[in-house]
Amino acid sequence: MAAASVSTRSDDRLGFGRSSLSRLPDKALRWGLTVLAAAILLLILFFFIRLYIESRPVFSKFGVFGFTFDNNWDVSHSIYGALPLLVGTLITAATALIIGVPVAIAAALFVTELCPGRLRPPLTIMIDLLAAVPSVVYGLWGVFVLIPRLKPAEQWFTDTFHFIPFIGGAAVAGPNYFIGGLILAIMIVPIVSAISREVIATVPADHKEAALALGATRWEMIRMAVLPYSRAGITGAAMLGLGRAIGETIAVTLVVGNAPTIGKHLFDQGYTLAAVIANEFGEAANNPTHRAALIAAGLVLFVLTLVINAAARYFVVRGSRGRRIGASDAATAGAAAGLGG
Amino acid sequence: MRSRQWLAVLPAVGALSLGVAACGSSSSSDNSTSGGGGSSVSATLNGAGSTFAAPIYQQFGSELKDKGLTINYQSVGSGAGVAQFTAGTVDFGASDPALEDTEVTAAKKKGDPVHFPVAFGAITVSYNLDGVKSGLKLDGKTIANIYLGKVTTWNDPEIASQNPGIKLPSSKITVVHRSDESGTTKGFTGFLQAYNPEWKSKVGSDKTVKWPTGTGAKGNEGVAAAVKQTSGSIGYVEQAYALQNNFTTADVKNKSGKYVAPSLESTSAAGEGITVPSDLRFSVVDSPAPAAYPISSQTFVLVYKDLCKAGMSQSKAEGMVSFLNYIYGDGQKILVQLSYAPLPGAIATKAKAQIAQEQCNGSPIAAS
Amino acid sequence: MSAVPATTAFAPISGARRRKDQFMRGLLAAGTIVALIPLVLVIYYLLKRGLGAISWHFLSSDPTGNFLGDPGGIKSAIFGTIEMVALASVIAIPVGVGVALYLTEYGKDSRFASAVRYFVDVMTGVPSIVFGLFIYITLILSGNVGTFAGWKGSIALALLMLPIVTRSAEVVLLLVPDHLREAALALGAPRWRVVSRVVLPTALPGLVTGSLLAIARAAGETAPLLFTAAIVNGTTFNLGDRMNSLPLQIFTDVGQAQDRLVARAWGAALTLVMLILLLTLIARFVSRRSRLT
Repeated sequence: MAAASVSTRSDDRLGFGRSSLSRLPDKALRWGLTVLAAAILLLILFFFIRLYIESRPVFSKFGVFGFTFDNNWDVSHSIYGALPLLVGTLITAATALIIGVPVAIAAALFVTELCPGRLRPPLTIMIDLLAAVPSVVYGLWGVFVLIPRLKPAEQWFTDTFHFIPFIGGAAVAGPNYFIGGLILAIMIVPIVSAISREVIATVPADHKEAALALGATRWEMIRMAVLPYSRAGITGAAMLGLGRAIGETIAVTLVVGNAPTIGKHLFDQGYTLAAVIANEFGEAANNPTHRAALIAAGLVLFVLTLVINAAARYFVVRGSRGRRIGASDAATAGAAAGLGG
Repeated sequence: MRSRQWLAVLPAVGALSLGVAACGSSSSSDNSTSGGGGSSVSATLNGAGSTFAAPIYQQFGSELKDKGLTINYQSVGSGAGVAQFTAGTVDFGASDPALEDTEVTAAKKKGDPVHFPVAFGAITVSYNLDGVKSGLKLDGKTIANIYLGKVTTWNDPEIASQNPGIKLPSSKITVVHRSDESGTTKGFTGFLQAYNPEWKSKVGSDKTVKWPTGTGAKGNEGVAAAVKQTSGSIGYVEQAYALQNNFTTADVKNKSGKYVAPSLESTSAAGEGITVPSDLRFSVVDSPAPAAYPISSQTFVLVYKDLCKAGMSQSKAEGMVSFLNYIYGDGQKILVQLSYAPLPGAIATKAKAQIAQEQCNGSPIAAS
Repeated sequence: MSAVPATTAFAPISGARRRKDQFMRGLLAAGTIVALIPLVLVIYYLLKRGLGAISWHFLSSDPTGNFLGDPGGIKSAIFGTIEMVALASVIAIPVGVGVALYLTEYGKDSRFASAVRYFVDVMTGVPSIVFGLFIYITLILSGNVGTFAGWKGSIALALLMLPIVTRSAEVVLLLVPDHLREAALALGAPRWRVVSRVVLPTALPGLVTGSLLAIARAAGETAPLLFTAAIVNGTTFNLGDRMNSLPLQIFTDVGQAQDRLVARAWGAALTLVMLILLLTLIARFVSRRSRLT
């Protein structure tokens, strides 16, 4: 049969006698798409290189460590030490993780393991809808709803727990690290939840059934069979949430207070790497060092998110071993790809 | 087949939107109505800068739209305005303080920058304090101490001693300042450093400083919003914003020792007795005039002397000249509506004379 | 077979364990509710403060920039968003689907394809503000390339959309069964015909879903537009001009003190969220009609 001897090379047709002219569209398509893919690769490399080149002036002036770890962001004297920004980014991101990840995992567990089947689609859609709200709308809501409503509660909290360092004994300013972290927590819940859901769904049914058959309660089954199996994947999901929290700009800059100092309390004003770029780029148009400093901040941000996302991917892949990704993941991939804003 | 039609639809939609984009005309109107004092030039002018003066340019833009001139103004702060003017991404910049020598040198790459003063405004010290009406008396030293973080409560003796008879709460003062490069900041800190040596040595005066304490907000608008939303707060905003939002403002002690409230009269008075150099790079902060509101500021429009060499087309250059003529003509009436003080006659005359010197590639521009 | 001793296998669950189980179930349910509270609150406030601002005048007039008097509506913002996102989609969707096609049809597991896949994944991690900054450096500040323009904002948005489109397209294209491809090839169809007549039509609903989600994402982005398109009051159909957009309009109005302007921000936010919801719902509807799920 001709089929047995048909070669697997895509544009080689044995026995059908196509002229080389008619094979031209095939070649054109193949090379066109290859060039396109290569162009994307080059674009990303160009992106990285351009960012690095533009940030060199500030690195040569302060050194990479000087820029990243000096605690002095003083635009008026042209001193650019980004430590307050870095610390602010980490504090808000950590707050976001501490608040957001447990909530997201709880929601994921509930939806996959505990809730009645009829509730599953609407709950899933609602959690995913959190990702559809643009970050500027979260910022708007944060400024006019969260900040005024939460201020008394924050003041009460810090007064009651005044003996705990960092949390207690502060004078609550309106916008602060905590509100920034809270809004970020809300924004990372859909991503962490969606990926956790996928990971939890890969737990083999026989593990779960074995636990139940041995007499475990529902919760014990989750604790013994589901969580250990999906630990790696959930870690990956949390790291993707971290990556998102670090890169988020607009919502944070509206609620974090824009003070380029390291606050002593959770309820002090702060600043983040992304927010400083958004706020100061316009003034830096003509000041090469300032511009380089902002681009360097962008580069630091870029590298941070790169590293975190690479680690996250490693964990998620380890956590979903053996399962073919389904088409519904097109939607999840879209949601999961949602980063920054 | 349905899928085939689908495949055809998508690129068609794409082509359609590209077509709309390509064939579309810009928003500048082609028919200019001739009204009293209106220009017969049709152009779009892009400006950016001072939030202090943003109400002026935005109102101008609204008035001039029917007359063929479209003014797009980005309220981003004097610092960003100067930066964009120097980088050439806007047609005119707006800055409250005149360009410093270093900034002039940087701008010279594109041509000679020309300062056109537009108006005076008052930088009010606005506060949000339940039960305390307008007129709290504060002097420069106290305001600086508040912003230094040394005076932290409203009933501090420094404030109380200047205000006998006013019941001040013991709540904490929330300080609000600018987070962006601001001409308003420069004016405000210029005033502070004249009366508080610690401020002068520790912080100084510039478009952006290292604030010892407080929340940062973007633009005059942002400071106004922060003051409005935060009880017990104090912030410095231009008078138009304070009036629009019904803020209570402080009476500030001026150079002659009087406590003056910000008003049209006291702002105009600030223009008396100041030295005006020939290139019009003057400042009215801490004016010596006895009736002056001390924290008054001027604001400038910055353009290049040779507009076309700096990148404008002939018609745009004519539009620019038209705009400048408007500023010193009907525009001055709008200022009063917005509570900015119009320029004193001597300065206005000098400024108008500068318009005639604007050129397009070496030749003067027809005024209209 | 021996009987299972009743005592060990079927001992009743102790009270402590049962209580713990109930407690943890309640906790997880509570966690889910906590996750959903912000959504409810955001929608509530959007409706409460935004509905009042929306009117025909609001949607059909430009922002006037008036400090006194009527602040105008958001017409230029709506048109600007539609125009810029449309151009961005025209760039990003074909390119994204093209790259995905390459990865599934030709590259597969080769080293080059893996590198492309990895770097596209990298792109999804880039914060959107960095894209805006990049376009600002390359297209606005460098030399005399010029000023802010709508198309530059579109390019920044396209960069943002590209990895999303590519990722979701690749997932969908991989789902097209190989036997369909092989059947077409065995019938003598050239490769390009297989792609255009078999692969793409089968994957089309999934591609549309992924694209619509990317479009919804791009419509809500502010940061890439901050440095590229600028804010402008008038409606313009020329992408070479500065262009307003809904996210930028909201961002500017949030920082204002005047109640009218804040009300406009809420109205614009509600409009934007409804736009995005509409796109998301259409995407879900289309994906449900896919033959591949």
